[in-house]
Amino acid sequence: MKNIRPAYFVKFLLTIISFVLITPEIYAADELNCVLCHKHRGLSRIDENGEFRLFYINQELFESGPHRRNKCKDCHTDIDRIPHKPAKKVDCAQQCHIVEPSGNKKFSHKNIAETLAKSVHGKLDENGEPKKYAEDYPDCKSCHDQPLYRPFSFYKGKKEPGISKRSISRCKSCHTDGNFAEDFYEHVTTRLHKSRYSVETIEVCAKCHQDKAFRERHELDDVITSYKETFHGKMVILGSERTPDCIDCHVVAGENAHLIEGQDTPTSAVHKNNVSTTCRSSGCHEKAAAQLASFQTHVTYDREKYPMQFYMLIFFKALMAVILYFFLTLIFFELLRRLFPKFSFFKEKKAENYEQVISEIKEEADSKSRATGKNGGHHE
Amino acid sequence: MSKKYQAIVEKDGVRYFHRFSSHQRVQHVVLFTSVITLALTGFPLRHAEEAWARPLYDFMGGTEIAPLIHRAAGTVLLALFVYHTAYWMIRFYREHVVKLRERGELTVGSFFRELFSLEMVPNKKDLVDIIQLWKYLFYFTNRPPRHDRMSWREKFDYFAPYWGIPILGPAGAALWWRDEISHVVPGIVLNAAYIMHTDEALLAVLFLFFVHWYNVHYAPEKFPAATVWLTGYLNEHDMIHEHYNEYVRVMIENGLEDEIKPQNFGGEEYEW
Repeated sequence: MKNIRPAYFVKFLLTIISFVLITPEIYAADELNCVLCHKHRGLSRIDENGEFRLFYINQELFESGPHRRNKCKDCHTDIDRIPHKPAKKVDCAQQCHIVEPSGNKKFSHKNIAETLAKSVHGKLDENGEPKKYAEDYPDCKSCHDQPLYRPFSFYKGKKEPGISKRSISRCKSCHTDGNFAEDFYEHVTTRLHKSRYSVETIEVCAKCHQDKAFRERHELDDVITSYKETFHGKMVILGSERTPDCIDCHVVAGENAHLIEGQDTPTSAVHKNNVSTTCRSSGCHEKAAAQLASFQTHVTYDREKYPMQFYMLIFFKALMAVILYFFLTLIFFELLRRLFPKFSFFKEKKAENYEQVISEIKEEADSKSRATGKNGGHHE
Repeated sequence: MSKKYQAIVEKDGVRYFHRFSSHQRVQHVVLFTSVITLALTGFPLRHAEEAWARPLYDFMGGTEIAPLIHRAAGTVLLALFVYHTAYWMIRFYREHVVKLRERGELTVGSFFRELFSLEMVPNKKDLVDIIQLWKYLFYFTNRPPRHDRMSWREKFDYFAPYWGIPILGPAGAALWWRDEISHVVPGIVLNAAYIMHTDEALLAVLFLFFVHWYNVHYAPEKFPAATVWLTGYLNEHDMIHEHYNEYVRVMIENGLEDEIKPQNFGGEEYEW
């Protein structure tokens, strides 16, 4: 495979396609007809580094994503002819050809990139030097691998996912051209709530933060597992959307979600001086006192770091083990006793009449000198 | 024995011995209904990552409704705990303290002697029975223990919720009223409450599922289910097997001395 030149390969594919003539579904933004080739699921090659690369574009997914009105060339700026040479990596911070309706300037994700650079996830330290293991730090696509719109609609006080015809009818009465109303509606409503389900947010963070080698390189606790131990985590896993995920606590309320700061940074949402404010954000533990902040969220049951939890856990596990092992052993031997019910090393003779029974019982009671006496001790 | 219930009733030629009043049976129904509800709405949350958790939690009402059901059932259980405590205290006062006073024998010593001779309180006889049971299980004797009115296993079954609820209940209430309680105690108390609530709950549920349900459901002579919790009466065969001392005492009290049957020794009833 390595000796097949990519351009040659694309030309070959194009020839095949022109013969077969599958009617291409071309979307509005696809001026250069890129989808003609990129819609084929098998469009792939092994690159110079020996890695498998897939160039297939899922039209359905792309059509429901926020970039659907961008032309391919807006992001892939270095492609100027078809067939094209291997394209460069897209720089999300560049200006694209979409014009912001609020201010006539060309749109760019540059400010997001700048915010990210200031956060704990930035690749450079305060002095502008690359941090240790800089390649571990995320860029846009590390988290935003498949951005999708997630619109919702209100109708008669009920919130539902998707665009409702009734909700959008008022937009459509003026904005009749093209898909503007739908696009703008999706753009706005998607941003009115979290664009990801909380479970997905946690998966995004877990990609790095649950990776053992990564955690060891950066000396980090397994915060994903400890989060999943909390009621917050468990409710999120069971589908709650009202329970906090990583971003809700690690971003200062009202701040850009890309500005996640370490707990040693004084402005961080999880700095020890700010935790009580974060917990008591509106919609969360509003009525709580500041000392709620001494609750420990990321408990690892480490003996040195969390001694109380460690010893409590030992206590309850030991209690459970003692009680259950005692009774399960008892049940086991009880069932085993029934295998040879008549066998016994020593045998007692059965009482022949009730007088003997009573005297035996009395004798037993006397010999053990029961404090409670004859039949006292009976409640009823 | 309260007058409402006959100690022995005979039906279709079988003697039945009174064990539990309707008052006690209703308390038991309230207890197990609330505990099962609590387990069904609590354990999917405790094991949220298991495959069965989401369907069960959704069935129990999902993340919005299931917590409300859980808290309602918890409130019922705590109320039952308070009610039951008042129940035995009032009975103890009426049936023991008042009688002691009438006889003019009420002293601190006699008060506590009466208290510790209540049928549910563990005593030396229980230790004797446990030792006898292990001797029997290891084939050192052919005579199973002769239990009094309440065997040590029933006492353990009784005290399991009696110590479990005071641990689970307040911890659960603290987690429920977490915002309000933070004005009184620091947040780290909720960490402790969390472990108390979830781990004690696991112990309780495992104990009920394996041990209590073995005693009343899985054991060969009980399978598929014992009926004493419904009828309040235990038949003569089981009475001889499980409460021989009590059986002899009740038979004598009711003038049936001549009809007392011998104790079942090993192998006499399970001849399969």
